[in-house]
Amino acid sequence: MAPVAMPSALTYELLAKCSVTKARAAILHLPHGPVPLPIFMPVATQASLKGLTPEQLEETGCRLCLNNTYHLGLKPGQATLDAIGGAHKFQSWPHNILTDSGGFQMVSLLKLAKVAEEGVRFLSPHDGSPMLLTPEHSISLQNSIGSDIIMQLDDVIATTSPDLARMEEAMERSVRWLDRCIAAHKYPERQNLFCIIQGGLDLNLRRQCTKEMVARDTPGIAIGGLSGGEAKDEYCRVVDACTSLLPEKKPRYVMGVGYPEDLIVSIALGADMFDCVWPTRTARFGNAVTANGVLNLRNAAFSGDFSSIEEGCQCVCCRPKEDGGLGITKAYIYHVTAKETAGAHLLTIHNVHYLLSLMKSARTAIMEDRYPSFVKEFFRKLYDDKSKFPEWAVTALKGVGVDLLGD
Amino acid sequence: MSIPPSNAPEMLTFNLLFKTLPLTPRAGTLAHHSGATIQTPHYLGITSRGAIPHISQDNFRKHTAIHGVYVALEDFIEKLPQQTPPLYHLSAPAHESSLRNFIALPKETLLVLGPRRAPPVPCPAANTNSAISILTSVGFRQISSQDYAAAAERLRPDIVVGMADIPFGQEVIGVKRKDKMSDRTELWMRDIISKKSGLDKTVKKEDAMPSYDIFAPILPVSRELQSWYLEHLVDDMVDEISGLAIYDAQLLDELPSELQHIPRLSFDFPTSPQKLLYQISLGMDLFTIPFIAEATDAGIALDFSFPPPSVSDTPFEKTSLGVDMWLATHSASLAPLSINCSCYACTKHHRAYIRHLLSAKEMLGWVLIQLHNHAIMDAFFAGIRDSIASNTFEDDCKAFEAFYEVDLPEKTGQGPRVRGYQFKSTGPGEGKKNPPAYRMLDDPKESLSEALTPDENADASDLERIGFAEAEDKGR
Repeated sequence: MAPVAMPSALTYELLAKCSVTKARAAILHLPHGPVPLPIFMPVATQASLKGLTPEQLEETGCRLCLNNTYHLGLKPGQATLDAIGGAHKFQSWPHNILTDSGGFQMVSLLKLAKVAEEGVRFLSPHDGSPMLLTPEHSISLQNSIGSDIIMQLDDVIATTSPDLARMEEAMERSVRWLDRCIAAHKYPERQNLFCIIQGGLDLNLRRQCTKEMVARDTPGIAIGGLSGGEAKDEYCRVVDACTSLLPEKKPRYVMGVGYPEDLIVSIALGADMFDCVWPTRTARFGNAVTANGVLNLRNAAFSGDFSSIEEGCQCVCCRPKEDGGLGITKAYIYHVTAKETAGAHLLTIHNVHYLLSLMKSARTAIMEDRYPSFVKEFFRKLYDDKSKFPEWAVTALKGVGVDLLGD
Repeated sequence: MSIPPSNAPEMLTFNLLFKTLPLTPRAGTLAHHSGATIQTPHYLGITSRGAIPHISQDNFRKHTAIHGVYVALEDFIEKLPQQTPPLYHLSAPAHESSLRNFIALPKETLLVLGPRRAPPVPCPAANTNSAISILTSVGFRQISSQDYAAAAERLRPDIVVGMADIPFGQEVIGVKRKDKMSDRTELWMRDIISKKSGLDKTVKKEDAMPSYDIFAPILPVSRELQSWYLEHLVDDMVDEISGLAIYDAQLLDELPSELQHIPRLSFDFPTSPQKLLYQISLGMDLFTIPFIAEATDAGIALDFSFPPPSVSDTPFEKTSLGVDMWLATHSASLAPLSINCSCYACTKHHRAYIRHLLSAKEMLGWVLIQLHNHAIMDAFFAGIRDSIASNTFEDDCKAFEAFYEVDLPEKTGQGPRVRGYQFKSTGPGEGKKNPPAYRMLDDPKESLSEALTPDENADASDLERIGFAEAEDKGR
């Protein structure tokens, strides 16, 4: 009972495909401007990226960020969003926004959330009063937010759940909820609804779900329910299985994925879009993400390290003052972390910039058809020794024709 | 009326716009050879660990017009003297300040170093003959006058404020203690001056390192009780000092005439714009103003100008000095924080967003208000300088007092998390300074199953009605 093909408010312009792996480079034309794929999307949960002004976020190179529907639904609330005219105007962000459905936060943040066929039942985090979030509510909220990409409400359960029957129920329910979302979506000509493939770690369920979802012909497709503590090689198998069944001309978004190595491998498996709070959250704990791994700058070893956060990094913090940057040192971050919020802002800028520029380099490598060597170089920098390469990455990359341990 | 220190290349010049009598407002230009120029009266931005709270260094460059900052040494020296502070290991090119480089301060911004934060947290231990009590990030410690003088030499700020023996937090100070204050402060001034002079002798004149200027403290006690100190400042040290750090604005009445021409930096923290204007009327030149950041943390956007807006007839009610951005009335307001304000927050954002950021406890809320509040102060001081130059200051002050309320609005909302260096501990058993960020909802499960829920066809407005969206606003 799939409805007729829905209008799309995006164009996916494929620029290059890796001749070895499944990696793709593209431009995604969205209502608020083009974005390069593959892309990492920082998460501005409550319409603000952790202390950064929209202008600072823009300067990291970001043109597509996330807002969370659940949080915006609570504050400022739908009435305010309607009165102001949507989230772009609300946060003065001239570029693209993607919103999730709000379902994931219910289940992950709220102790007592219950999923039923009509929607997600939960208690208000403010006064404990019972509430219900339905697919229709979620879409209505996202219509009010006005985000460029909106997500269907899905039935998310932990991939590690052993209950296959429940998993199947969740997968099937997610398909039914997509139909309700499509029917409720008021502005398909200016907001792109993405479906979300569920099915846990069971590849048959995933394939079945992919088939159903693809038939609904949404402008983009997300792979959901992952990044919930499952083994990394199982994660890779799911992404690989799903992307193999997906149409080439649509963007593929793997939800909640954010470690640099996860992104690099997932790109090789054919994924295009990623989001995660990790780079921004970890910045607030004083962790700098670099090509050589994560540096915990709260460690006293950095108190007298007057080198930049990452040598050669082009973010405003790391660039020397001679090049118009700030020349911020590891020692200064050590000095302010957890003591002044400005320290968190600086490191957030660096971390977001790192991930965006990593995606840019990956994209260039795909365009120049040298993604396999790019991947090898990336892992060599991240781990000083091949013996430390994570097994899941070696296995997953071997599956798409890259021998990480070879020369 | 410039003041070249006798044995160093001319560093700091201070020129008054016109000759002024004591106890009258004055306007001037303070210029440092490094390139920093400040039109006075003006203020120094107060930093915490090298940054104006909430303002990262890139925003400082792009979205503030702050010409000078005040930095406290106690923010940087951790376990001195047992451990060399990390900053002391940073070397800087001959003509640069390691402190300036460390905190990424632009070279055009005047860098003023003092021993203690503004305002200082009172310390439990008393000062000694050779050291003052301070609060570093590792707890209450002491710094000796010798170590302070050495820090100035090493860090090379543009201006260093001499160490003063002031028992902060002590309500009543006995006469004997006051005697000691001036004796010690004099001794410590001699320490820092001889350190600096010694430094200059070891270097040939032509390639002399850029040095620093010294501001001498004027203690918050009567002139009689510090008369020896003041006499010695005039007799022995006047050539070595480039300015005064004034802890009680009333002392402007009693300054020796030899010290009248040099710039005056106030550590007599004004608590309102009116009190600030009063200090200016006495001839104060530079300020450190804690109420700017205090208003920001309280979510109050300053909203005043000098001279005040002209009104055809006196307003019935006095106008508030600030806008409480926590109020729900701003929820859907697309207005800027202040009309006519050209700061980043007012030109790019609106009240609804800033109110949301506060209520969602997003850091950006305080960032935007802090940028705005500093912009308001910039315009306020520009108005004051114009008013002094056109000789209308006294009348404008009267108009200001008639137009605005006496005090800043009361804080209603919650501030950002407070840190240890922002309050005085009251000892064992004190309550938590920050409320817990998270709590679990442990309501009984039954309430969930028994609850009425909207039917399938309900739209999000039903959800809102039962509290999804706006419930938390009801009480405000």
